[in-house]
Formats: sequence, structure tokens, C-alpha cells
Amino acid sequence: MVDALREAHRILRPRGILIDARPDSRVFAYAEHQGATSKFRPAGVIATAREEHTNDRTSDRAVTTAVGSRWFRPLRAGRFWHRVLFEDRPSLQDYLDDHARFVHRVRWKVDEAKRRQWDDDPWAIRRAVRFELFERT
Amino acid sequence: MTTSTSAVGRLLPAISSLLRPPARDELREYGGVGLVRRKRVIDVGCGDGRMALGCAPYASEVVGVDPDPEAIRLARSKARELGANARFKVGVAQELPFANEHFDVVILSWTL
Repeated sequence: MVDALREAHRILRPRGILIDARPDSRVFAYAEHQGATSKFRPAGVIATAREEHTNDRTSDRAVTTAVGSRWFRPLRAGRFWHRVLFEDRPSLQDYLDDHARFVHRVRWKVDEAKRRQWDDDPWAIRRAVRFELFERT
Repeated sequence: MTTSTSAVGRLLPAISSLLRPPARDELREYGGVGLVRRKRVIDVGCGDGRMALGCAPYASEVVGVDPDPEAIRLARSKARELGANARFKVGVAQELPFANEHFDVVILSWTL
């Protein structure tokens, strides 16, 4: 990852902009149910898998190295939220089963009867994306 | 910010713009299209070209690089379909085939 940042520094002109954006594993994602009013409401939280936390820390260290080496100067950082929509709850579960980023089990805030009742409704995973803009020195 | 899909996790597990925010939304979060307007932009780890194609209407030059040939094939096909001003190359972030100081903006979106 440090190699990739070194290469980004090489191909960027001085004062050019580097944008680094990634899923934000420092906060939970949410399993959300879309009700009759079309509003999405959180029904459970989804943690990031342990391996992904490790990868994210490695990325953070690479960025720290790049800044510490004065290849880049931090300009601005932020976070935004993004919803991935699913036709129904089984589709959401299929996604969690197949993908490595999240743990496979939702920590539900609603009881099982309610979840079953909502099985065929639209669902979403709302997750955070963190970003940082850097200026090439 | 919403991505709509019914194929998530089933049809496109690897090359999935469908799992990511639309490029215009993501650009807005970073500061808007002014960030890439009339700039030379490279999207490293571009996948199927989501961000590169989102920058193409504004930038003077857009290149997408990804190690996955299938993703690059898809990105090229989308670029043709859209008539987009974007080129795509198979390559890795650690060894980019471009001259020193060529680009104004480097995007590492969900790449590091």
C-alpha cells in the first residue's frame, strides 16, 4: 500500500490532489427495513469482519507513512453514508453470506416475528464511507 | 445516497459498481465536479469504471487502471456505450505506466 502511495506521488504534479476513500470500519453498518411510508428504519447493526479491520489498519498505516514522508499534505477529511438496496431480507442475508467485509450475522434490534413479517419487504444496508483529500507536496 | 440493485451478491460479486455510490454523489462529497474539471485524472483500482466514467464529462483526460482484465473489458465497453472521454488499462497501483507528474488528480476509491 505504501508502494501504491509512492507511485501516486510520482505521477501527480506538485499540488495535485489525491483522494483516498474506503468503507469506514470504525462505525457499524445498519440493516434497514423499508416500511409502508417508504422510509428506511434501522432494524439491526452489522459489524465489520476482523480481517477487514486489520486491512483497514494497514491502509491507515500506509497513509500515515506517506504523510510522514511528506509526499502528501492532508487537506480535508469526511464521512458519508451510502445505502445498498435489496429486494427482500433473504437477498440481504445472501449478500452478507457472500461478502468478506461484514460479519455474516446482523445484530437485530427487532424480534424474529417482526423480521419474518418483513421478509418480503425492501431492505438496505446503510454503511459509512470515509474519505480524505491530500495535496501532493 | 443510494445504490439500487437486485443483483447484489449474486450476479456481480467482484466487479460491482452496484455496491458503490453513484460517481456523481461520491464526487459531490469530495467537493464537487470542480475538483476534476479540465483536469487530468487517474482512477487507480477503477474496477468497471464507475468513478472514471463519472469524471469523464468534466475532465480533460481520464484514465482508469485495474489489475482485473474482465473489469477493464467492462469499463471499456461502458465507455464506448457512453461515448466517454476515458481510457482504461490493465495494471497495478504499484507500477503505473505514466510519466512523472502527469496527473492533476489521483483517485483511490475503495482501493487502499
